[in-house]
Amino acid sequence: MMRRIPIATLTLLVLGVMALMAHDDIRVVGVVTKVQAAKLAVKTKEGRNVSIKMNKQTSITRDKKKIGAPELKPGQSVVVDAYGDGYEDLLALEVRIVPAITPPAAK
Amino acid sequence: MNPDLLTLQPPSKRKLAVTTAIALAVAIALLFSIVLPAEYGLDPLHTGAALGLNALSAPTPKAAPNPVGATMYKPVQEGPTGYYSAAYKVDSTEFQLGPYEYLEYKYRLEKGASMLYSWTASAALTHDFHGDPETGKGSEQSYDKKDRQASNGAFTAPFPGLHGWYWENPGGQTITITISSAGFYSSAMEFRSDRSRHPHDLIPLKPGLAPGKTESNNP
Repeated sequence: MMRRIPIATLTLLVLGVMALMAHDDIRVVGVVTKVQAAKLAVKTKEGRNVSIKMNKQTSITRDKKKIGAPELKPGQSVVVDAYGDGYEDLLALEVRIVPAITPPAAK
Repeated sequence: MNPDLLTLQPPSKRKLAVTTAIALAVAIALLFSIVLPAEYGLDPLHTGAALGLNALSAPTPKAAPNPVGATMYKPVQEGPTGYYSAAYKVDSTEFQLGPYEYLEYKYRLEKGASMLYSWTASAALTHDFHGDPETGKGSEQSYDKKDRQASNGAFTAPFPGLHGWYWENPGGQTITITISSAGFYSSAMEFRSDRSRHPHDLIPLKPGLAPGKTESNNP
């Protein structure tokens, strides 16, 4: 029994490292379309709708000051630095509320 | 003699059936939770997404292939001159950096290989000129990290790897960046904040011809 504990620990460690290695950083810039308790929906300028999970470690800021999740509202422009496998599986590390994004000038 | 050996009985059919059923259940659980997501990209229980196993079955992103003869760009130093067995390459490109987006643009250089560069932007950027050593040979090294709107330089790679710029748009308006360079690099890669990678074609210099000229249009 005692021999199995280190083996199990090592296996979990390897699986954990593999899971971490599969993840990467993605920045999502867009407008908030929906806010739920632990989830944020953002529409990017390319028209992609991205659903991003939030947890207690997610930092939410405006003008570099920390604010609470209830201050996130639909219509706000945000910059989200998230972590995950792809756009379908993202966890927000940081959400910055930024001034409304200026659309590019027509040429 | 050990009396236990004499009394050892084969397991009953019921016990065998239960054990087999448990083993089968565990195997099926592992199949659906681990093997299918990791090997085939099928994730019926969403355990692949939770454990990050889906990435294992995803097609490996195509890294920019190292051009054949990349070692041609490894210099042989003799006194003040580094000699190469191939002509240098030139590159000129423009990027549009949307509000709050960032990108990295890097060249593959061997240790001691040189390049000249000039870049300019339509507004100040958060900037970090840095190098990433070849996989497993150390961590990222920053050469110049400060907000800039332009930079001109002559660079000699301190180690083999990817060397280039991180540019971040700190504001809400699109910024245009233009860069021109010439050097003994073998490839160039653009890394975007959405994790996409875009290899750039580099123009090999043909001795006797001006950069970008062909034999037909060279006076």
